[in-house]
Amino acid sequence: MDHFPTSWGRPRNEAIDAFNTYPLHQRPGHAPKTDTFTDGVQRTQQPIVTGTSILAFHYKDGIIMAADTLASYGSLARFKTIQRLHPVGARTVVGASGDMSDFQYLQNQLDQLTIDEFTENDGHDLGPAEIHEYLSRVMYGRRSKMNPLWNAILVGGKKDNGERFLAYVDLLGTTYSAATIATGYGAHIAIPLLRSAVEGRENEITEEQAREIMTTCMRVLFYRDARSLDKFQIATVTDAGVNISEPIKLETSWNFAENIRGYGAQTQ
Amino acid sequence: MFLTRSEYDRGVNTFSPEGRLFQVEYAIEAIKLGSTTVGICTQEGVVLAVEKRVQSPLLESSSIEKIMEIDSHLGCAMSGLIADARTMIDHARVTSQNHAFTYDERIKVESVTQAVCDLALRFGESVHDEDAMMSRPFGVALLIAGVDEKGPQLFHTDPSGTFVRYDAKAVGSGSEAAQSELQDKWHKQMTLKEAHILTLRVLKQVMEEKLDHHNVQLAQVTKEKGFEILDEVRLKELIDDM
Amino acid sequence: MPDGSFAQQPQQRQFNPYTENGGTILAIAGADFTVIAGDTRQSEGYSIQTRYAPKVFRLTDRAVLAVNGFAADGNMFVKKVKQRLEWYRHAHAKDMPLRAIARLIQTMLYAQRFFPYYVYNILGGIEEDGSGAVYSFDPVGSYEREACRAAGAAQALVQPFLDNQIYFKNQMAAAGQSHPLHLPLSDVLAIVIDSFTSATERHIEVGDGLEMYVVLAKGRSSQGLDGLRGAQEISTTNDGDRVFVIRRELKKD
Repeated sequence: MDHFPTSWGRPRNEAIDAFNTYPLHQRPGHAPKTDTFTDGVQRTQQPIVTGTSILAFHYKDGIIMAADTLASYGSLARFKTIQRLHPVGARTVVGASGDMSDFQYLQNQLDQLTIDEFTENDGHDLGPAEIHEYLSRVMYGRRSKMNPLWNAILVGGKKDNGERFLAYVDLLGTTYSAATIATGYGAHIAIPLLRSAVEGRENEITEEQAREIMTTCMRVLFYRDARSLDKFQIATVTDAGVNISEPIKLETSWNFAENIRGYGAQTQ
Repeated sequence: MFLTRSEYDRGVNTFSPEGRLFQVEYAIEAIKLGSTTVGICTQEGVVLAVEKRVQSPLLESSSIEKIMEIDSHLGCAMSGLIADARTMIDHARVTSQNHAFTYDERIKVESVTQAVCDLALRFGESVHDEDAMMSRPFGVALLIAGVDEKGPQLFHTDPSGTFVRYDAKAVGSGSEAAQSELQDKWHKQMTLKEAHILTLRVLKQVMEEKLDHHNVQLAQVTKEKGFEILDEVRLKELIDDM
Repeated sequence: MPDGSFAQQPQQRQFNPYTENGGTILAIAGADFTVIAGDTRQSEGYSIQTRYAPKVFRLTDRAVLAVNGFAADGNMFVKKVKQRLEWYRHAHAKDMPLRAIARLIQTMLYAQRFFPYYVYNILGGIEEDGSGAVYSFDPVGSYEREACRAAGAAQALVQPFLDNQIYFKNQMAAAGQSHPLHLPLSDVLAIVIDSFTSATERHIEVGDGLEMYVVLAKGRSSQGLDGLRGAQEISTTNDGDRVFVIRRELKKD
């Protein structure tokens, strides 16, 4: 006899465990499904078409997030008008770096999720904390199957109690939240700038100032990150909802280049 | 048209219009045919006693097994269809071992009783590729005795999967007389020795044959020594003391 | 290849499902109390991801779990332990005893023997007999009960210090005297704070904040906690074992 109540299947349909005796993955009928083609399936071993850094931070009215519009194919600037900021529901924005096809898959999943939640019409809606929790489950689940979604993702927004929310999740399922977060190169180049500009002043920075700080950081990144573009979008989430700007062209100046000595063509 | 009883006692999982499950009720009846089984809970420990019906002088009475060990701190006496109890005891033993393995502690008496009762209503017709565990209800009642952090306890289970805790309980053919005798004689300060004697006296009253060390079996669960079935020597002594 | 060709042998890069997120945890058992502590920095490589990511979690009024290593595994593991504790509560109508939690953690870790949770666990709290206890685990479930244990990035810095201060290793007792078996709470808290400020000085992955959980046995006075700034009680009842949390800043560089 099988002594594990989980295997008894009561009610008779074993897909249902009305008593929630065990977690889903341990229940019979929830073993990983394999088919004839399983061996032939390619898993993402490396990202192909990629987006670079995402930046985000808290400010007075909510959350601000930015990403350039480039999707690279290796060192080739392949797609120059890709939007990497995605609104979910009324008060959440999701931004992703890493593999763009994996991100677009997630966009579809999130859209479906919001539709399902909307059709329930039960007075609940998904806020940023819920979306982040969901994404972390998906990302950790996929890494545990050794089939990761190759992204580093930021989720920002306003919770239903009016609090700001900003958190990170990546292809390993690693999560954290902070007042300033950046992925990729941004974590090295923009974070020091953001921390000194933002930390301790989260409740003072106006939207105008926030956009200014963001633009400065995106400019520095464009100067230093070879996989970046001078066209980017800014998303804000405030009590008024999600706003994603049209692409903004960075004002840059390369005059200083002539004065640089020590490498390149000029040796003196 | 549907008022006759027989219409509703076919399907084992079909309620009658009055809201009864006849097969379960019949199973409870089956227990009243079983030999008398008595359990008494005291502050020192729990005593279990069963009547062994030795139907033939050629029958080896020691081969009748109606008290079984579940774990070192848990024992069980049964009345009814003894073969049905084997499934339940087997489940209780695995559950208890599994608990000890996972939690490094003795399972509580109530928990192991609950686990056994979870089995009780797992009967009925099977649906397409699934196989049902049992085709009919269990025809056995158990007295589960044990000692845990809450002290000595005695539980009674029946085929409906209901379990109740008792200070003293009798089941089986002589249970009515035995239960009222227990109600008369049981008291809070009872010693283990007194409980031994009381179980034997109660059995003696309801047994048709003359009680001796061949046709009764006695077991106890104490905090100090856990579950033990009393051997013939000790049984004889107790019968003499009675 | 030096000539830039990759034709010779096929290349196979494997996805690595693990990373290390730094930080350090530590627990010390007293006679009738236990202190479980951890810093709050989470890092990957040279980047500080956040200055506040808790690694120490209250499980019950008598058990606190500290988890260190790969943060994603750690969070998932704690989630599952808490889930099992709740099921146990429903099934057995009591909180799981510390020793049972320790064994449960072993079985949960060993169940993942061939795809382990890359986490070092330290479980601290009060046993059924009222004594302070610390259990430490490796990622696949080997465990033992100890008086103190440090784990994580600065284990190599902190454990020798504890060996010296708690077990009195390499210390000679004064003539005719012996070392105490257990230290008072105030001494233990001082040792914990010193351990973390020192680890912060010498290890780049340790710092930002310190969270110390103190579990007091049922009936024990809060002596040793009273004078302390900002000790916050988080137990659900005040007639059983009690849990307190104390937070301190650590250097952020």
